[in-house]
Amino acid sequence: MLMVFIFFALLIMLFINVPIAVALAMSGVLGLFITEGVDSLVTIALDMYDGSTKFSLIAIPMFVLAGAIMNAGGVTDRLINFVTAIIGFIRGGLAMVNIGVSLFFAEISGSAVADVAAMGSILIPQMKKRGYSKEFSAAVTSSSASLAIIIPPSIPMILYAASANTSVEQLFVAGVVPGLLGATGLMTVAYAFAKRYNFPVEEAFNMRKLRQTFFDALPAFALPVIILGGIFGGFVTATEAAGLAVIAALIVSAWYRNLDLAHLRRALLDGGIQTAVVMLLVAASVLMGGFLTRAQIPQQLAQSILSVTDQQWAILLILNIFFLIVGFFLHSAAAIILVIPIVLPLITAAGIDPVHFGLVVTLNLAIGQQTPPVASVLITACSVARANIWSVSKVNIWFVAVLFVVLMLCTYVPSVPMFLVEYFYR
Amino acid sequence: MEQSKSISLPKVVSFLSSVLQWITIFLMILLTFIVTISVIARLMGQSFSWYDELAAILLAWITYYGSALAALHRRHIGFDTVLLHIPIRYRMIAVFIGEAIVLLFFFLMARAGLQVLEVLEGDTLISLTWVPVQFTQSVIPIGAILFMLCQVLSFPEYWKLTAAGVSLEHSEIEEEVATELEKNKDRV
Repeated sequence: MLMVFIFFALLIMLFINVPIAVALAMSGVLGLFITEGVDSLVTIALDMYDGSTKFSLIAIPMFVLAGAIMNAGGVTDRLINFVTAIIGFIRGGLAMVNIGVSLFFAEISGSAVADVAAMGSILIPQMKKRGYSKEFSAAVTSSSASLAIIIPPSIPMILYAASANTSVEQLFVAGVVPGLLGATGLMTVAYAFAKRYNFPVEEAFNMRKLRQTFFDALPAFALPVIILGGIFGGFVTATEAAGLAVIAALIVSAWYRNLDLAHLRRALLDGGIQTAVVMLLVAASVLMGGFLTRAQIPQQLAQSILSVTDQQWAILLILNIFFLIVGFFLHSAAAIILVIPIVLPLITAAGIDPVHFGLVVTLNLAIGQQTPPVASVLITACSVARANIWSVSKVNIWFVAVLFVVLMLCTYVPSVPMFLVEYFYR
Repeated sequence: MEQSKSISLPKVVSFLSSVLQWITIFLMILLTFIVTISVIARLMGQSFSWYDELAAILLAWITYYGSALAALHRRHIGFDTVLLHIPIRYRMIAVFIGEAIVLLFFFLMARAGLQVLEVLEGDTLISLTWVPVQFTQSVIPIGAILFMLCQVLSFPEYWKLTAAGVSLEHSEIEEEVATELEKNKDRV
């Protein structure tokens, strides 16, 4: 009964636009007050402090900062030129370039919304000028930016790893193959559209131009090498890779002479605010988590689902449906922080690998970024393209279908995401 | 004449915003510096005993000073779809209730934070024994009070936007997109 009351209170607070972090914390406080009285409220300060000092989450401000510095540092143009030299000769080349650059940018930044605003503002106007419809331009930009959250470094993955107490490095490695598969799928759909609507070819393939643009973009490749190479090779942890990524981003931007103090100040500020917003959620979840644990809610949920079925495929199906619904209404960070502590005992009891499940959750939330009403990435792309969200969604459904196929593949063929993890870590 | 002498709300917001911005930037620089030198030192075979503890404290400080700044500009993650579909009269009542809940939570947090500070008197950090824990944990009551202040100062603008049926998230996105489009207009 108490749990129903708390859940109801949480829902009402969410509906009247109380910040999700505060709604979570206040629900925990309410539970604490009802069960243990007013004296117990002193733990608010301790929990809110402890929750904001999770060491593994230091990677978040570092990756956000590295991405913001690279965004400001003139890397985008060089990447666009390089990817155009590789795949610009294919029909619908600019759409492919969009997907390719997204994939690469995902290697640098942790934030899909920042990327879509920065990259979309260059590529979408170019696509419109070259005869692509604004709906298609927004859809391809939006879906490829969301695919990027399963490619390391990824803030949702860092948050999941902290919530599920699992290895963020393994989760990063698990995202690589599905990310590449998803990009191939998105490019195939873009090509089908290009053939049907006769989208233009950008330029003939030219080896000299490829070499020239490659060397021009070479310093920018330092970041993926540091992040992926360092983590795959076991030289650094995710937090250390994030610290090195900031140094590399500064060096690369200085090399391109595109980073001035105003940009750096903006990057530091964006990094600080984004971190604070996510970390307040994390801290608030400690209060709510404490109440849930004392009330044994996650364990009760696990028992009731396991009494219906203990088949992994069925449990994964239930959770996939649940996360897809959650994705309609919650931002990825909030969804992870709110839901993972509740479903974790179920995952453990069903014998599902938490790294595998982490990837499944991240893919679900990538789809969630494309499904209104809460679809920050899609809304940003539509805003850049000056297109209506619903008209874009009609085109975007094909790209979302690709993400869904990748989700099903990763859910039911665990070796697709996990074979690299097995190879490197187990 | 009278008006020009008085301190207007936008001026107070702008002053507080720039103070919080510089605090957040300073903390981010410090955290980045500590993380990077510690990584480099570790790769060279040396490690600092204070690294984990200090970096975690800085993260907490960024969380609360940055959160106050985010509150001032209404950047915290929320869900306004339902609120904006409520008839205007009930919507504005809901806005008041929502604001009261936020203020109540941070009031409780500030009160608990001050109680904890009293208990912690005399405690110091484990790795840096000259730093009192009272100093590092002071971020909880200070952060909570700043959050309340920022929430109150940004309320009139939030009230206006919500009454007009404008989503905060959408206006934030529009702002970011406008900045990026302006930045890239010569490249298109």
